[in-house]
Amino acid sequence: MKIARIILLAVGLAGLALGAVVMLTEVRPAQIVGVGIWILGAIVLHDAVLAPALLGIDVLMRRAGRRVRPAVVVIVQVGVVVGAIMSLIVLPEIYAKVLGAKNDTVLPLDYGLNLAVFWGATALLTAVACAVYVRAVPRRAAASAV
Amino acid sequence: MRRLLNGMRRSSTSPVRDARSAVVIGRLLGLAFLVCFATGLYSHFLQDPLPWMRFATWPQLYQVTQGIHITAGIACFPLLLGKLYVVYPQLFQTPALKGPVHLLERASIALFVGASLVQIVIGLLNTYQWYPFPFNFKQVHWALSFVIIGSLAIHIAVKLPIIARNWSRAVPEADDEPPTESEVPTAGVTGRVMRWMDRTPAPEPTLSRRGFFTAVGLSTVAVVALTAGQSFAALKPLNLFGPRQKDIGPQGLPINRTAEAAKVTESAMAADWVLTVMAAGTVATFTRAELLALPQTQVDLPIACVEGWSQMATWKGVRMRDLLEAASAPSDKRLIVNSLEERGGYRTTEMGPEYVGDDLTLVALELNGGTLDIQHGYPARVIAPGRPGVLQTKWLRSLEVAS
Repeated sequence: MKIARIILLAVGLAGLALGAVVMLTEVRPAQIVGVGIWILGAIVLHDAVLAPALLGIDVLMRRAGRRVRPAVVVIVQVGVVVGAIMSLIVLPEIYAKVLGAKNDTVLPLDYGLNLAVFWGATALLTAVACAVYVRAVPRRAAASAV
Repeated sequence: MRRLLNGMRRSSTSPVRDARSAVVIGRLLGLAFLVCFATGLYSHFLQDPLPWMRFATWPQLYQVTQGIHITAGIACFPLLLGKLYVVYPQLFQTPALKGPVHLLERASIALFVGASLVQIVIGLLNTYQWYPFPFNFKQVHWALSFVIIGSLAIHIAVKLPIIARNWSRAVPEADDEPPTESEVPTAGVTGRVMRWMDRTPAPEPTLSRRGFFTAVGLSTVAVVALTAGQSFAALKPLNLFGPRQKDIGPQGLPINRTAEAAKVTESAMAADWVLTVMAAGTVATFTRAELLALPQTQVDLPIACVEGWSQMATWKGVRMRDLLEAASAPSDKRLIVNSLEERGGYRTTEMGPEYVGDDLTLVALELNGGTLDIQHGYPARVIAPGRPGVLQTKWLRSLEVAS
């Protein structure tokens, strides 16, 4: 394992060095500053905004879990996560289309409508999954299984 | 501060956030990164080959590698967010810094996370042809790929013992226990928030673990299945969110650069247009009628774009080898291909001898049974097997055999 770690470390340092060389030789200094700002911004956006917000939502949903069965909370969470991740990818696409595509074959679909359909289908499937669970697993059985 | 970190760490603790989950999702993400890196290298060198490089001329090779590049990149969104969710409590580890080595380790993780997020975001935005970032996409995406693969190797080197321990099953991590109540803040607003969180029912381990992996798994399947139809014909009916759709465009084929953008609407339609073929000492010219009078070959080849979309089409025209022969030029040398475009990075491209001599490489005059549309390169364009769309030069002006 020690040899593997040394090799990996060497490969990693070589990769970083190569990345730095490519960055310095092919990207203008002002743009490198821009890359740095974006990297820093990505870390702040994730660690200080997205992740704490998710934690807050999770706590709120678990508190709701006192009245709702835990498995139902989890099924709803899965639905929300799937919809949220899809939205994360598609909302910039909708915005890019609003800004105007270069020609008619770029961004040709109605992404807003499709996203609404996707959320609808996700909500429906989530509801069906909850209903199936509630019917299939009686409350007492669920409680003793936990 | 230490108490606050402990509090954050404790409240963000979840049964999912353990070493085993990090390994399970980490190896999927690592695999996706490696696939993106390998296919990205291939795409890069197809466009900027080193002098000694020769490439396979399998017609659908690039269509597949670049389709995989984009699709795997999209799959990285749920996988990377899932991975960051699992390791989030590590952000609040105490003491925050143990020494110079620990500082380097944490700095390398920060770089790894930040660069990975930027890389997949700018990659996605590039497929939407939207560039809100203050730097050049192509060069930065290229440079960051090395930074990320380097950081990945270092990350694996640092975590290798943990990865090995958790590769096949979960084992309790002795030093990974969440902080006890006495170590978290009790006073002030923070204390009140922490107490409020503590009164929340704890998540049930098996249930949350299943929920987490179902969420990441379903998200990955959804983002792949609903976008990959732009690259893979079998998934076309499911293409709700791909930035391109097959069969949409002039003659049923999407385009990137229009004739208007390339400013060739006049030169491409000029009555005196000829294709000039130059080799050492010889110059030959062909009108479109003369090209049509040469033996015609029909091939099925895809247009495959660096942005991931691709489209199969039927092309008819003069085989490149036959044309060079008609011009008394050799067909085993590198070819410099010039377009009528007056500006643009791909106005002049190069074609390696492996493509020049290939049976499937054409100077195409017809597309899908009709005269080539001006948006697809009328009066004549290059179509060769397994090359990125930007190198399938449209609106040909001349071909030069490199000496």
